[in-house]
Amino acid sequence: MLFHTWPFVLFFIVVYPSYLGLKNTRFRLPFVLAASYLFYASFNPLYPLLIAYSTIVDYMVVARMARSARPKAWLCISIVNNLGLLGFFKYGGFVTENLNALLSSLGIQYALPAPGILLPVGISFYTFQSMTYTVDFYRGNVQRETSLLRYATFVSLFPRLVAGPIERAKNLLPQLRKSPAVSRRDVADGLSLFLVGLFKKVAVADYLALYVDKIYAAPGQYESPALILATFFFCWQIYFDFSGYTDMARGLARMMGIRLMLNFNNPYLSSSLGEFWQRWHISLSSWFKDYVYIPLGGNRKGKFNTYRNMFLTMVISGLWHGAAWTFVAWGAVHALGRFATRELERTSFYRDRMPRLAKQAFVFAFVTFAWIFFRADSISDAWIIIKGIFTAGFADPRCPWLAVALILAVWVYQFLYESRARRILELRVVRVAIVLLMILYLVVFTPSGERPFIYQQF
Amino acid sequence: MVQSKSPASARNSASTPEGPGVAFSSNSVRLSTREWFVTGLFTLAVFSLGPGLWETVETFEPGPGHRLPYELATDYWLYERYCKWACSKYETLVVGDSVIWGHYVSKDETLSHHLNEIAGRNQFANLGVDGIHPIALEGLLRYYARDISGESVVLHFNPLWITSRKHDLQTQKEFHFNHPKLVPQLPGVIPCYKASYSKRISAIMQRYVPVFAWTVHLHKTYFDNMDLPTWTLEHPYANPLKAVNLRIPAPDNPIDEIPTSWSEKGMAQRDFQWVDVESSLQWRSFKRSVKMLMQRNNSVFVLVGPFNEHMLKGGSAKLYRNVKREIETWLKQNNVPHLIASALPSELYVDASHPLSRGYALLAKQLAQNDSFRKTVLYQPAGTD
Repeated sequence: MLFHTWPFVLFFIVVYPSYLGLKNTRFRLPFVLAASYLFYASFNPLYPLLIAYSTIVDYMVVARMARSARPKAWLCISIVNNLGLLGFFKYGGFVTENLNALLSSLGIQYALPAPGILLPVGISFYTFQSMTYTVDFYRGNVQRETSLLRYATFVSLFPRLVAGPIERAKNLLPQLRKSPAVSRRDVADGLSLFLVGLFKKVAVADYLALYVDKIYAAPGQYESPALILATFFFCWQIYFDFSGYTDMARGLARMMGIRLMLNFNNPYLSSSLGEFWQRWHISLSSWFKDYVYIPLGGNRKGKFNTYRNMFLTMVISGLWHGAAWTFVAWGAVHALGRFATRELERTSFYRDRMPRLAKQAFVFAFVTFAWIFFRADSISDAWIIIKGIFTAGFADPRCPWLAVALILAVWVYQFLYESRARRILELRVVRVAIVLLMILYLVVFTPSGERPFIYQQF
Repeated sequence: MVQSKSPASARNSASTPEGPGVAFSSNSVRLSTREWFVTGLFTLAVFSLGPGLWETVETFEPGPGHRLPYELATDYWLYERYCKWACSKYETLVVGDSVIWGHYVSKDETLSHHLNEIAGRNQFANLGVDGIHPIALEGLLRYYARDISGESVVLHFNPLWITSRKHDLQTQKEFHFNHPKLVPQLPGVIPCYKASYSKRISAIMQRYVPVFAWTVHLHKTYFDNMDLPTWTLEHPYANPLKAVNLRIPAPDNPIDEIPTSWSEKGMAQRDFQWVDVESSLQWRSFKRSVKMLMQRNNSVFVLVGPFNEHMLKGGSAKLYRNVKREIETWLKQNNVPHLIASALPSELYVDASHPLSRGYALLAKQLAQNDSFRKTVLYQPAGTD
């Protein structure tokens, strides 16, 4: 039951009016929790058991932590439990596969059985969200939540359950404590966010995916232009896919009177890699900063330790995205890029004389290059693509000009949005016309398949 | 990942009254309640008037003996439009599957063509749809053929659809059958239909919201049965607007080679596993279709067969006789004028159910010799004697 499918539309049409009717009663939280569990069960009827387990353990851990003389031990239990869940379901296959490869290379004729476990949708998101609560409580940044019902709703809230944003307890829990005031403005804003997200996902991301999937399925068969274009398209596909999901999630929550954090802020207009990570998947990158980078020591203990901490954070972040060496490589490439650009930014020429547009182009090119590792099916495929880009000859890429036009239109829109011309985009007639065009395009011309969100698989 | 406060995000959150640290969006198009209301009204107007306006600009000029183009068999929006047109030009509508549509013959060799020759005028319209089994036919008549209410209809039942549990869609194992969007979408009604809920709801939406059926029409007519993105992948440098030439393709013969009889093709006799008529899903649907048409004040004549009985082997010939008897009993009990067609000569069948051109001519003669057909269908309009 994904946001861009008919079953979800029906689900929300039933759930939303009931929610509005119950929002000022004591049935509000039980209802939202039931709706969230029902939503999650639509992916697999057993999934709610998993999220219930994770919720109950963390709720009890914090309850014990509040009374214990050794709170750190309870924190460790929470972290081990959450990472254990993630490790078992997400990395079991990866670890087994690599151990088997190691055993084989050592000449040992034994292979561990493959676990064959299905990765539960959204597990990376809700385990991380649950951990923010236990860690923040341990640090004294958040009060203990006494209601299991409210805590369970915080972990499972359906608009953000599948792919975030990873909300902090101090932002979301207080919102769940009081009856939300849902104004007409909230409904209008929620609809606006949802529609833009739907357009990003269905009209743009799923369109670009058609070309990207074709080329990346057999990269050895294509020449440089097709490989470059497919990588460029993927760069936009993943942005529209994930930011589209986030917009929809935020829009739905907004209609319920709940404010979720901003997760994307025009990341491809960044003029440094540091800025890129402040604009891309903000809820995750700030999570890694607060719960991994800073505890590792951050930038406090000299250049070597700073770079080591950066490297570890980026590699772990890569691994969070998926159990494959391609994601580790993606994280490592970004870490190396961060080192290089950090050093560059220290030079007065780069900092003061280099035009902002050139910096933006450089960052965009680097991020696009790094996506190769993220999207390729294997490290060897990634090398084939990189080699192909730089060495292969020319052949007609057969790239749909309509897709290029769509990307350009969005690019121009983003540039205008961050410039003085924003006033034009904010004219009533322009906004209404844009919304009408989006609706018309969605109904008449969108792809017929239903692609899942890229990030729901993480 | 490793960061300080972003100037851009700071600017954004500072400029919107969203509360601490919660920006509205990076670049969203934001409408007020009133603007949404206006947009909603405008959208509603475009979607309700759009398909109708499209009919005025798209050229659709069916000539005598017209049938839906083969490649547009699943364009139900066009079928609805064709029904409207046929009702205004013809007195009798011949409805059924590829036997009526004329899968192995040209448009001038179909049953409706031969009936028109017998009638001496253009009385019969070919409203056959390739591959439409009775369960889908019920959906087609219910949702896309409301305009034929009150008209004279010859409704064809092809016994082929009850020759096995698979044809009758009774098997539990999923397989892809024709016209899934027309069958009942409630899970479990058709055991072998395992489509996702999303596809089922989408099929229902197409039935009730014309704009969705119309978009399917655009895809099928102008974009080679593909959605626009997929089409642009096949034609990367083509202008999609040019592809929309506002002309519906002419109905061509779906097959290139000259059709030959089943025995010449080397097809062998078969022992068909006829399903029990009473429990047959296809027959139940057909019965519902007949009753629905009668409730809509249609004058209904049912044509059953002619099945290729020469192909029957073993006990299946006897079983077929029972099938025919049960069908006829129900039709008689419900006072439905009908003809259980006699088998045509063996050499006039292409397969188990499709006749060759001469077969259609003979079938038309059988109909013309049938008393109730003459009385209820093949009458001369008042004042023309």
